[in-house]
Amino acid sequence: MKKKKASGMERKMSRQYFILVLPGFIIFTIGLIVPLILSLRYSVTSWDGMSAEKVFVGFQNYIDLFHDRNFLDAWWFTIKFTIANTIIQNVVALLFAIALDSGIKAQKFYRAAFFIPCLISAVIVGFVWLKMFSNVLPAINGWLGTNFNFLLFGDSKTVLSGLLIANNWQWIGYWMLIYLAGLQSVPAELYEAARVDGAGPIKRFFNVTIPMLAPAITICVVGITTGSLKVYDLLVSSTKGGPGRASTSVIYQTYATAINGRQYGYGSAMTVTLVLMLLLVALIQVKGLKKKEVQA
Amino acid sequence: MKKKTVSILLAASMLAAMLAGCGGSGDSGKKDAAAGNQENAADDVADDADDTDTEDSADAADDGEEVTLTVLAGQSTTDAGIEDMIDEALAEKYPNITLEWECVDWGNDFQPKMQQYLQSGLPDIMIGKAQDVATYQALGVLGEIDGAYVDRGLDAAKENVTVDGKTYGLVYNALYQGVYYNRALFEENNWDIPKTQEDLQKIIDDCNAKGITPFASHMVDTWSIGNVTMQFMMNDVFNKTPDWGDKFRNGEVSFADSEEMKTAYNYNKLICDNTFPETFSTEQTDCDAKMVAGEAAMKVSGSWSIQNFLDIDESFDFGIFPFPNQTGDSKLIFEPNITVMTSAETEHQDAINKVLDVLTGDQELAVEIYDYTKTASMLKDVTPTFDNPSQTDIDAYAADGNIVDVTLGNNQLVWGGFQEENAKDVAAWLQGQESFEDALAASDGRVDASN
Amino acid sequence: MAGLRKKKKEEAVFTPYTKSTLITQIIMTIMAVLFLTPLAIIINYSFKTKKELYVNSPLSLPESLQFDNYVKAFDKLNMKVTFVNTLFYTAVSVLILALLCGTTAWAIARCKRKFFKFAYIYFIIGILIPYQALFLPIYTIGYKLNLTNTRSGIIFMYVATGISFGVFLMNSFMSTVPLELEEAARIDGCSVFRTYFSVVMPLLKPAMATLVIMQSFQIWNDYLLASLYVSKKQLKTLTVAIQSLFSAQTSDYTTAMAAIVISVLPIAILFMCLQKYFIKGMTVGAVKG
Repeated sequence: MKKKKASGMERKMSRQYFILVLPGFIIFTIGLIVPLILSLRYSVTSWDGMSAEKVFVGFQNYIDLFHDRNFLDAWWFTIKFTIANTIIQNVVALLFAIALDSGIKAQKFYRAAFFIPCLISAVIVGFVWLKMFSNVLPAINGWLGTNFNFLLFGDSKTVLSGLLIANNWQWIGYWMLIYLAGLQSVPAELYEAARVDGAGPIKRFFNVTIPMLAPAITICVVGITTGSLKVYDLLVSSTKGGPGRASTSVIYQTYATAINGRQYGYGSAMTVTLVLMLLLVALIQVKGLKKKEVQA
Repeated sequence: MKKKTVSILLAASMLAAMLAGCGGSGDSGKKDAAAGNQENAADDVADDADDTDTEDSADAADDGEEVTLTVLAGQSTTDAGIEDMIDEALAEKYPNITLEWECVDWGNDFQPKMQQYLQSGLPDIMIGKAQDVATYQALGVLGEIDGAYVDRGLDAAKENVTVDGKTYGLVYNALYQGVYYNRALFEENNWDIPKTQEDLQKIIDDCNAKGITPFASHMVDTWSIGNVTMQFMMNDVFNKTPDWGDKFRNGEVSFADSEEMKTAYNYNKLICDNTFPETFSTEQTDCDAKMVAGEAAMKVSGSWSIQNFLDIDESFDFGIFPFPNQTGDSKLIFEPNITVMTSAETEHQDAINKVLDVLTGDQELAVEIYDYTKTASMLKDVTPTFDNPSQTDIDAYAADGNIVDVTLGNNQLVWGGFQEENAKDVAAWLQGQESFEDALAASDGRVDASN
Repeated sequence: MAGLRKKKKEEAVFTPYTKSTLITQIIMTIMAVLFLTPLAIIINYSFKTKKELYVNSPLSLPESLQFDNYVKAFDKLNMKVTFVNTLFYTAVSVLILALLCGTTAWAIARCKRKFFKFAYIYFIIGILIPYQALFLPIYTIGYKLNLTNTRSGIIFMYVATGISFGVFLMNSFMSTVPLELEEAARIDGCSVFRTYFSVVMPLLKPAMATLVIMQSFQIWNDYLLASLYVSKKQLKTLTVAIQSLFSAQTSDYTTAMAAIVISVLPIAILFMCLQKYFIKGMTVGAVKG
């Protein structure tokens, strides 16, 4: 794009650009990349976090991980939580966005109503739903004379659905706004053209809306997946990983193992598995969804 | 209005940007871009400088020079707030000493914080539980507490914080643990204090027949399960084999093979079968409220419940007895709670001693703290003045020598990473997620983390 | 990257209000009420007395409008300190972020050397691997470098963990900066730095506002980093203080509810005033432009 200039000039400019990038580069490296490398290093030791020596144990920690039922259960919980979130949040957020875009009155009010929960810290959301399930909703039973089981956090079988409700309550509005923006950017002519071609509303939805929403879908799917894989704050103030270990996520288990249980090296190996998983998921999704975008 | 806010925000961000960067020539720009970093670095240096300053002037504390002591306080939740009381008392007697508090939750955060400080240097004063003394004294980082202050405490308090004749912790107060019971309900139904499991079973049966929930419990809190399990172990395991934990690590005994340990675990099931069906959703406050309301007759708990009971209804009448064991000779459990430790490498020993002086010497402060936390005194000649309905029971057990220090068990089987994790398995077992055998085996599998 | 196109929105006004629109309206109203219920309950609780908490139904309204809980929450959370801390960390971090991300993203967009392409991908790693996943080594490096329990330490970490998204966001705005202006500045003899600060940065104002708002909201609500990095009483943040209030065995969660209201209000007001920028920040990349 740029005109070619004397190489000396260009080199000087590059140097200046380089200086602009450098501070951020260094901060980012120290704050995130060095820790990433550190966790790789610690993950092959049996360090307890306290003593000076860090004994090299090779891949023993990783081998142990595959026999550690608590760790595998934590992954199983995290995966269930992630998949359910990805599906529910995407579908509901998209439906809400379409509903808001369908010409109903007071769009702004709905937008705010659905969005406000995501302004609240997840720690608070967890606590609020803890109270909702254990105190508020059972009172509704008494009120209506019904007998729903609202004690979702109290049973290992229902704790996942309870957390899903809390998490979706918090985030649906956020993703809805993204879909809404996507919908509003679809040129009206495209719909007109489809209508002229005789496409019904369902066909229009799949042939016009969805393809045009592809970038939004990519962002939402990746965002929800990575967001769910790292769930921790929500658990701290609600179930604390319980009952038993029924709602222990990978990060929660890492925290309990490495920090409370003083198995630093082992915990680092857990961290590494999570990082690998996150990278894998992001790559697959970006690749897969990008391909669809191109086709569209 | 909107526009104004936006422009203010923008102006602020621009201003900062300008400060950090908008220079004239390329060279000055270069300097400025680096300035952003230097600012951070400068802050750090300034912080460090502050630290070293205070450390250097430490020895001069006698002359009334300003000293700041760092304090890491691992608190039980009933303790939150005592730091202000201590600050106040200290300000009165030694206004030149300031405490810089870092209050964390003992169960979750004390150990991680200590872990961190072991690498970067310990705070001058650490407040934990008696069992912490064993952990950290072994690493050689704790300072000996001057006999003058230790002697102001009860002799019983010294035992588990003394290693080779040197005392490393100052035990300030104690909690009692056992079964709290609703006195009115017990009198109404002519229930006697149960001594054996059969006695207890009779009360449970009678309760169930009369529609009273036998036990109030809040199993939603893993710490609560862990706590009662240790109570059970004290009276069924450690009373017979005081070094059970050491034998466990030597491979002589295990959870899966020990009948006593199985019994102790099984009491959890007894509680779970005879408590609120929604115990895994009932929080402590709600649980205690139900207890006060007379919906439940008993609660296996500790002194921390007193604060709750009396908060909800100050006229609630209750007593305490030890959870009956198989042999009918259970002892009431006490747990030395607030335990003050000092750093071996502090440069402020004089100032620390003054703080210890205030803590042990200021009776008014002590009473204020005991009344606030509803705990028992571990200082000689100091008695809390709050009305504790269970005090008569405690006095009776204490007079007969029927009390036992739970530090014995907690020293051998640590809380973080072991008892806490075991409690999660117990919860999973009670919820039907894993078998009893699996829960025991899981505890055995954690042997390396037990100390 | 174009912003939202207004066209469709205006057109919506002309779509006829049919029966199905009405049904949608009703369904959405029900949904909105469901979504707002927990919020209403928080506010309701925050005005109840402790007695009412145990005696009355959780759904009943408070007997009188009293602000005792707010006063108590203010005191228990040590609000004077925690509020100022949170505000300070948030403000300083986002300002540093606005500056750094602007320069970094611009340099990356303008210089075509290999290093800058690499740098962009390098920064994007931070979006793919959220810092929460790395909390353990982040905590380690914090105390190795003596960053824990210092104001500069937590701010440093907020900058380090926020920079990825910031660079991504700013980068996507760069196409709105016309190259001609920059070229003109350069012909006038401006250095790269001067070009940025006198020509480019003023044009990036809306982008920076977006970044500032997005990150403020993240940092204000952060729990994990704050709980790992600042535990000294004088340095605590609001979220950490609230969490310890929750976990406390207090018999009185009406205070906690009041604390929630206090902590959410500033960020809610900020959102209400600056919705436009907020939405722009969220929807970067979501809209084909």
